[in-house]
Parts: sequence; C-alpha cells; structure tokens
Amino acid sequence: MLLEAEQVSRSFGGFLALSDASLAVEAGEIVGLIGPNGAGKSTFFNCIAGDLAPSGGRIRFDGVDVTYAAAERHAELGIGRTFQVPATFEELSILDNVMVGAFLRHHRRADAEAKAMEMLRLTGLDRMAGQRAGILGTPGRKRLGIARVLATEPRLLLLDEALAGLTPSEIQQAIELVRRIHATGITIVIVEHIMEVILSLAARVLVFNQGRTIAQGKPQDVVNDPKVIEAYLGHHHKRRRARAPA
Amino acid sequence: MILLQAAVGGLLLGAVYALFSSGLTLIWGMMNFINFAHGEFVMLGMYVALLIATGLHGGPAAYGPGAAVALFMLGVVVYMALVKHVMRGPMLAQILSTFGLALLLRYTAFFIFRSDFRTLPQSSLSGTINLGGIYIPLAQLVAGIVAALLAIGMHLLLTRTALGSRLLAVAEDRNAAMLMGIRPDRMQALAWGLSAASAGIAGALMAIAFPFSPEVGATFALTAFVVVTLGGFGSVPGAMIAGLIIGLVQALAGYLIGPIYKDVVVYGLFVAVLWIRPQGLFGTL
Amino acid sequence: MTQRRIASLALAAGLLLYPLLVSDLNGAAFLQDVGATLLLAAISASAWNIVGGYAGQVSVGHAMFFGAGAYVPLLVFDLWQWPPLVGLPLGIAVAVLLALAVGTPTLRLQGHYFSMATIAVAELIRIVVSNWDLLGASIGIQGPAIARGWWDLTFRSSVPYYYIFLGVLAVLLYATYRMERSRFGYYLRAIRAGERAAASLGVPVRHTKLMALAMSAAFTAVAGSLYAFKLGYVNPEAGLGILVSVQMVITAALGGAGRLTGPLIGAIVLVPLQSATNSWFGGSGTGLTYILYGGIILLLARFEPGGLIVLWQHLRRIGARKPEVAHAA
Repeated sequence: MLLEAEQVSRSFGGFLALSDASLAVEAGEIVGLIGPNGAGKSTFFNCIAGDLAPSGGRIRFDGVDVTYAAAERHAELGIGRTFQVPATFEELSILDNVMVGAFLRHHRRADAEAKAMEMLRLTGLDRMAGQRAGILGTPGRKRLGIARVLATEPRLLLLDEALAGLTPSEIQQAIELVRRIHATGITIVIVEHIMEVILSLAARVLVFNQGRTIAQGKPQDVVNDPKVIEAYLGHHHKRRRARAPA
Repeated sequence: MILLQAAVGGLLLGAVYALFSSGLTLIWGMMNFINFAHGEFVMLGMYVALLIATGLHGGPAAYGPGAAVALFMLGVVVYMALVKHVMRGPMLAQILSTFGLALLLRYTAFFIFRSDFRTLPQSSLSGTINLGGIYIPLAQLVAGIVAALLAIGMHLLLTRTALGSRLLAVAEDRNAAMLMGIRPDRMQALAWGLSAASAGIAGALMAIAFPFSPEVGATFALTAFVVVTLGGFGSVPGAMIAGLIIGLVQALAGYLIGPIYKDVVVYGLFVAVLWIRPQGLFGTL
Repeated sequence: MTQRRIASLALAAGLLLYPLLVSDLNGAAFLQDVGATLLLAAISASAWNIVGGYAGQVSVGHAMFFGAGAYVPLLVFDLWQWPPLVGLPLGIAVAVLLALAVGTPTLRLQGHYFSMATIAVAELIRIVVSNWDLLGASIGIQGPAIARGWWDLTFRSSVPYYYIFLGVLAVLLYATYRMERSRFGYYLRAIRAGERAAASLGVPVRHTKLMALAMSAAFTAVAGSLYAFKLGYVNPEAGLGILVSVQMVITAALGGAGRLTGPLIGAIVLVPLQSATNSWFGGSGTGLTYILYGGIILLLARFEPGGLIVLWQHLRRIGARKPEVAHAA
C-alpha cells in the first residue's frame, strides 16, 4: 500500500471541514476525489500533500508516518503536488522553474538542467525554456506546474484540479499527458470537477460531501449512486422528483 | 507613593501609545502592510500643533482636531499616490516605499524646524494636579484621558457602525467584500486616513505634555511596533491593551531598575513575544 | 552578450585603476577616500543582497552584523592590545551566532512583520551596547593610533584600504556568482518567488533562509571590520544605527536587489552623490542628503522596484521598439 490515510479530520476554529476521511491507494493506481464545492476534498488533499496538518487521524506513505511532516519532507519522500491556482515562480525563467524541482534529486547544476529540459520536452514547453514564466497563460502555467513537480521524481502525484479552465481540446491533451505520466509508473490521485476527466482517467473514485466521504468505487458505479446524485444536485432535487407525478 | 505615581504616568502615556498603535494595527490587519512612516505621522501631529499654536494662535482644543484633519488628508494622499500601487508589487518595494517616505518626512522636518526640542506655549493645561497624593501634570492627564477615549472610540467605530463593519469586511475578505458592493479601494484609503489621523492626534496630545523634535518619530515607530506585536496582528483592542501594558512596563522599568533600562525592557519584551508567541495576545497568525 | 562583457571588463579595469587615475588631480586624497568608501558600501550591500535580494527576506537590521564586525576587532585591541585583524574571525563568529539566534524566531514571520522584527532587534542591541561601559558605551572604542606593523592595518593613505576592499569585494562577488548558479542559489530565488510552492518541491525553506542569513551576516561582519580598520574607531550610532541598515538596503535596491552587480552599481551612484551633497550643502548637508535619499527610494519603490539594472533593460527595449529615435543620435 503506497498511501494510507486513516480517519483524517481537520477543523478550522469551530468549523469541521473534514471528518473521518480514509483512503488507501496501491502503487500504480489512479484514484479520483470528487464532490461539490466545500465538500472537504481540497482540505483532505492538502493534508495528504503536507500543506495542512490534520486535527486527527494518520497518514502513512510507503510505511512512513507523514501525518505532521512538513511539505518539503513529503517531496523528499516522493509525494508531489500541483496547485489549483498555479503557483509559478513568475520572475524566474521557465527552465529555472523546473530546475528548482530537479535540484531535489540532482544536486549538480548540469544534471538538474538536463532533467529539467527532459520534463519541459514531456510537457511541450521546451522551446520557451529561456523566457520568463510570467508570460504564460493559464494552460501554460498548469503544464509548467506539472513539469516542475515531475522533475522531483515523485512516486505519488497529487493533481489539484489540474484541468480546470481548459478548453475541450486542451482537456484532451491534458488527459493524454496524465496517461503518459501514469504509464511511467507514477501513482496518481486527482481532484477534479469535470466528470469526463474522472470517468476517463480514474479506476477508482472517492466522493466527498460536507466533510465526509459518502461513496467509493468504480466511477460508473459511483456516478449512479443515489447518495452521490443527491450530494451534487441537492436535497431539493430529490424532493422535487418525489413530488413530481409518476 | 512615587511608584504609584510612576505607574499612573506610565498608564497615561500608554493610552497615547494605544491610540497611535491602533492606527498601525488597523492597516496591518487590513492590508498586511506595516507603515514604516507611522512614527513620522505622530511627529507631524506634534508640529501641526506647534503651527496652530504659533501661527494661528489656536488653543489646546484646536490641536487635536487640527492634527486629525491634516494627517487624515496626508494618510489618504499617501495611500492613493503610493501605497495603492506598491501593494501589488514585490515585497522590497512595499517596505522601501514607506521607509523612503519616513526619511523624506523626517529630514524635511529637520530642515524646516532644525533639531532643537520644542514645546508648545503655556496654556490652560499647565500645572500639576494632585489626585489623592499623586502629582500628575495636568497636560499628561488630559492627554492620557483623551487618548483613551479616542482609542475606545476607534474600536467602537470599527465594531458598532456600518462604516466600521465595511472596513472590517475588507480586512477579512477583500473579494467577498467586493461582491457585497463594498469598494475595497475606498475603504483602504479611509483606513489610511484614520490611521494617520490617530497618529496625528496622538502626537498633538503628547506635544501638550512633552517636548519634541523631528527625530522622535523613530522612537514612536519602534514603540508602535512593539505594541502591535504584543497586541496581535490586526487587533485594535489588542493594541489598546498592549499600549497600556507597554506604557506601564516602561515607566516601572525606568523607576525600579533605572532610566536607561526603560527602552531595553520594552524591546526585550518584544523579542520575548517573538520567540514565544509571535501572534501576540489577540492576533491570529 | 559581448556588449555586457565589454562593459564588465571596463568596469573592472576602471575600479582597478581608479586610485592611480585620480592621483594627479586636485583633491586626489579625497577622491581616493571616496573610492574606498564606495567599495565598502558595495561590500555591505552585496552581503545584504544574499538574504535580502536573492532570498527576498528584507532585513532592515543588518547593522547588528556590521556592528559585530566593527566592534569585536577594536575591542580585542582595546582590551589586550592585539592587532584588530585577529578579531576579524571572532567578529564573523559573533555575527553568525547572532544570525542563528535572531533568524530562528524571526524568519518564520512573513514579509513586513519580519522587517519590523529585524529593526527592533537591531535597535535593542544598539541601546544595550550604548549603555555598556566595556564596549565604550555611547562614546565607542578606538583602534591603534599608530601602526605597530602592517598587521595593524593603520595606513595614512586611503589607497591601501582601497585595494584591500577591492579584493574583498571581488571575493564576495565571485562567491555570490558561484552561489547564484548552485542549488542553494536556485532555492533562495524560489523562496523569494513563492515559499509555499518552493516547499512543495522539496526546498527546505526554514533551513535555507537561516543559512542565507548566516552567510549574509558573515560577510556583513567583514564589511564592519574593514570599516573599523580604516576609520580606527566605532560608536553605537556609526556601527549599529538604523541608518547603517537602511543604507545597505537602499544601495542594493537602487542598483538591483537580487542581481550580482546591483549593489555595486547602487554604490557607484549613491556614494559620490552623498559626498557631493554633503560638500555642497555644508552644515545642513546631512539633512538634505537624506531628503534626497528618501525621494530616490520613494520613486524607486513606486516606479522601478527592480532598480537601475531593470530600468536600463526597459529603456533599451523602448529604444529598440522605436528605430527612428536610435537613428537620430
């Protein structure tokens, strides 16, 4: 078992954003986290990524307890993540952005640069390597974010709504990229809103609602689960359907 | 008895610290921005009082309002012309902006007023009052009480009025406030005006009781830093209580240990807060 | 970019030959002194640049490290009559320990809060020193009045100091250049560009910031020691005052913080300017100099925070876009 999250909870002041969330991920899987806004999936995601310390529960990566470990330790151990709002290093060049990631495993500049260029080729950004990262639009930034984290050679990649804001054709390209990354042996956990993406990528899906996990299973099964439908469309819809003439 | 006298004097001065520090922490909480020229705003309040006294022959009652109006306008101008633009930029620019302003204000004051200490002309507020065996200069008593009232007034303005809740809304969540129809830009300009005005009035009040020169701005800035750190990020009530504590600690340290140690103890307290509890008494960090 | 190469070589040659070039002019001694002061300012600002420019941690309390470097060598002479040079490594050690002690609680503070904290800590140290008799209280400490040998570093002419400072600057800039291209340098710039993202990529943020502060402190202490050797004297205001810290920041920022040659360029502009305004305005000189400083910093912060280097790049780009303007020259 590569990642084990057990009964993870997190409260902010008096507000319980996440309670008793559990997830077990085997090496080589692609798992999706879905749920309406504010359902707790981002909170869970950030706990696994090491950005947020849980209020309760434990998280283990490859047997190592990382519940309260700092983000940098997570990266060291092989957990990489992207940000929902791409956090590119604006003032640095595109190549330098990726090199920061590459330096984790390659301490010499020449090696880091080679690794970085390789990642840029993988994500199609190699021809812009010398330019300032600030010139990129959103899709470019997302690709840069992926190139950057891939340079850290993660075993588990956490993608935070990596496909939001992309056009349909860009989404197709992105799905291809995620498949290629997965094919190199990297385990993927992806938070996503776009159903098409989840259905085509994830072998298994975990559904969040109001801070709890309400369903888990194959995407086709989960999508038809009445609890899940109710979570997305709301209690209102269920009552309307009940009151409508048969 | 003398200990009590020192304590009371410290609390009165502490009330003035509370007043100008409230302004600094308001901006800090709203915009994550420290005005490094805040001490100079206090200093300018003192000189506005001087100008009112010598140029316009106004009495003590005019100093406060005069300083308030002048500094309010300065605060708004500084926001619109400078702060608004650097806020979105690199950290270095943000810090240098008000630092540059501080140098400009301080040395312009030096140039115009020279470095000698000045006092305001004698007025109805001279003399000492005897309160149950404790002797307090009337000027200090008035300064302290007025400052305390104004600080409480600022707190009430922020928490009990519609305007105050709009200001706090911007501090809490800029985007949400915009969605509710509040204009963050206007609120921030207003906050700068209030902040500068609080500093100016505090300066005018202190000018009634103590001598002043252009260089005192640096000391007040540091005092304000210590007070807002102890009080907590963005907390006006925190700054008020911390101001009183610092004023008291300073006076007692000066009396019990020695006048030299007045400042050492205060800055030492600052370092202790940083090490042990950087969010201060009431802040959230 | 051969244009840049030529400019760099010209600059290096100019710096190398400056004292000789001015030796036949009227007021040569004064000009050579200004040169030495310029180099010292460049050293301090370049030292600050490591943590303030590259890593983006804007310390406005670096005077505490400068002061450590200035006081320890003179103290060592004052107490035991040893050559101040012996105190140089001790001063560095004190500065590094101070950096670790101060950095640990303060570097976790964000932005403005960090800057505010550094100001207050430096002020605390200045006040303590100015009331401590062992350290000369507010009067300060004096170094050797007459040289007992070359090792006392007490020269009557500014020229030996000039070349010592130039050597130190060269070493510092070379070290910075190597650092810029190293893993550590990339991590510093990542921290400045985005701490949260940097941490997610495995950058050990706290540790890196602390190392940068310690390195910066060490070199700043060297600058302080050089100051003490040249002047033969230090007091709390000159060694630990806030203007010392502010000067470092402004000098680096004016040229270009986070750039290798930024601080040097800043010094080349500011030091002669300061000497000029001090001479022109006579007694009220200092006041007007700082009014000018304040104005320059304000404009810099508001319009071109990247400093003169970036301003130059912008102007060149504007020039390139308007070919008719270039031809008119």
